[in-house]
Amino acid sequence: MSEKQKFKWHSWATPWILVFPTLIGLVIFRLIPIVSSFFLSFTKWNLITDPKFIGLKNFKELFSDPVFWKILGNTLKITAGYVTGGMIFGLLLALLVNNKLRGMNFFRAAIYMPVITSSVAVGIVWTRILGPKYGILDFFLKKIGITAPYWLQDPSLAIWTVTFVQVWKMSGYYMILFLAGLQAISKEVIEASVVDGATPTQRLFRVTIPMLAPTTFFVLTVAIMDAFKNFELIYAMTMGGPQNATNTLVYSVYLNAFSYNRVGYAESIAWVLMVVVGLLTVGNFFIKKYWAQPLE
Amino acid sequence: MVERRFSKILIIFFIILATFVSIFPFFWMLANSFMSEDQIFALPLKFWPDKLFKKGMWDNYREVFSNFSFALYTWNSFFVSFLAALGQIIVCPMAAFAFAKMRFHGRRAIYTLLLMTLMIPVQVIIIPEYYLMMKLGWLNSYLPLIIPSFLAGAFGTFMFISVFEAIPTALFDAAVIDGASAYKILWRVYFPQATASTATLFIIAFMNNWNDLLRPLLYIINPKLFTVTMGLTRFQNQYTTKWGLILTGSVISVLPLIVVYIFCQRYIIENQMSSGVKG
Repeated sequence: MSEKQKFKWHSWATPWILVFPTLIGLVIFRLIPIVSSFFLSFTKWNLITDPKFIGLKNFKELFSDPVFWKILGNTLKITAGYVTGGMIFGLLLALLVNNKLRGMNFFRAAIYMPVITSSVAVGIVWTRILGPKYGILDFFLKKIGITAPYWLQDPSLAIWTVTFVQVWKMSGYYMILFLAGLQAISKEVIEASVVDGATPTQRLFRVTIPMLAPTTFFVLTVAIMDAFKNFELIYAMTMGGPQNATNTLVYSVYLNAFSYNRVGYAESIAWVLMVVVGLLTVGNFFIKKYWAQPLE
Repeated sequence: MVERRFSKILIIFFIILATFVSIFPFFWMLANSFMSEDQIFALPLKFWPDKLFKKGMWDNYREVFSNFSFALYTWNSFFVSFLAALGQIIVCPMAAFAFAKMRFHGRRAIYTLLLMTLMIPVQVIIIPEYYLMMKLGWLNSYLPLIIPSFLAGAFGTFMFISVFEAIPTALFDAAVIDGASAYKILWRVYFPQATASTATLFIIAFMNNWNDLLRPLLYIINPKLFTVTMGLTRFQNQYTTKWGLILTGSVISVLPLIVVYIFCQRYIIENQMSSGVKG
């Protein structure tokens, strides 16, 4: 890069011209909305009249509302369940499809397929599969003598059902990410452990998984981001019900702003969401620092 | 030897099980689209669609297409997703080239901000965005579905940065010595080197827009402008228990993407793998 000081191959304006569209998008569709969301959370607003500043009233109402705590709890439950489930299934699937087998490309592609289909269609077909009485799962469970619970109608179960469907949809993605990590582990290390007489179990827990740490960290980061992308699934499967059992921060922002016309209140929920995401990101950073090797 | 064969059989068993669990819902969707209402609500359940290869096989499809403009919705989705994806494969390489190859003030700051926006859920920004679109008079048009994803494709930018950084500098030096302008180097030298990534980004952006629900739900009111994903939810709300029809609609909404996927799965999966290693 030192020659570049002497010889200029582009004018000072060139990088700005190239970055311009992205910069405009970043400012107008990301930064300004984030900042405005913050200020709007201190207002009472219905999108039509001017927003009215009401101080901390939204937050006061929010924190004294049991429904909010339930929704926050749901969000944390889904996030925890989704991240754990997605990572475990992703890793198991990656270990499976990392074997040499004829037609493996087909199996990988098939397992990845739910990732590319719309959450709405996925939500619909799973609602049908899990439906009471005429659902195919209940039918088979009954055959082996189990009376199936109401997967989506039982308030204590519905949230885990939705989490499961989200995990089902996305596991193929984490499988591919883990697979890339597995294939990047050098063959020599694995062979050395075989020569040293490590059993397959030892090899998995003492060699493969520790060497996968950077990938695991990356998957964790991605999975946390994805955990908040469940609006479509909830919309298609439960609409947040029954009795807010599957209502999450993400969904209630939509509900308050666009169904109840309580925009300021919705923004205060959005900012709680922002704080949750921020805390998870910071936590993630510490995991990276003290556990996973730095990536670059 | 026996033990190895046994573990191989076990592996095959689990792979087939995983594949079955992954694709069964799609088969069930398809099977249901060829079932009559009588069959769907029959006990014990029947698995073989009663109308398959028989008279009235396409009844559900006919009803869906005539009562609901699914053909129009599908076209709308194509239109919106195509333009949004096209925008991304033009805008992202431009920004990525500047980040990867040029040094300018604020480079690091813009890069960091862009990276941070990847983490932020869309719900945090959607209300001010909605207000902006309302003030611009863009409600009930495709602009709110296209423009934000056109301009703020952070994911694609990072993808192209890693691709451009991996291109040998000899190529870059040769172009500079030949006196090519920066734009020429970008579009004639670097961009053609990234065909696979361009295709992948196009497909991923296309799919994201095809599958998006929140923005169409907020911005589109006129039924003539519905996207297929949004149309499907309207359809579902109207025909709550008409599973044959709802699942026929689902088939129509996912089929184009699955066809594209079957042809491009190699690209997509390989690209996801390389982005994973990079971190």
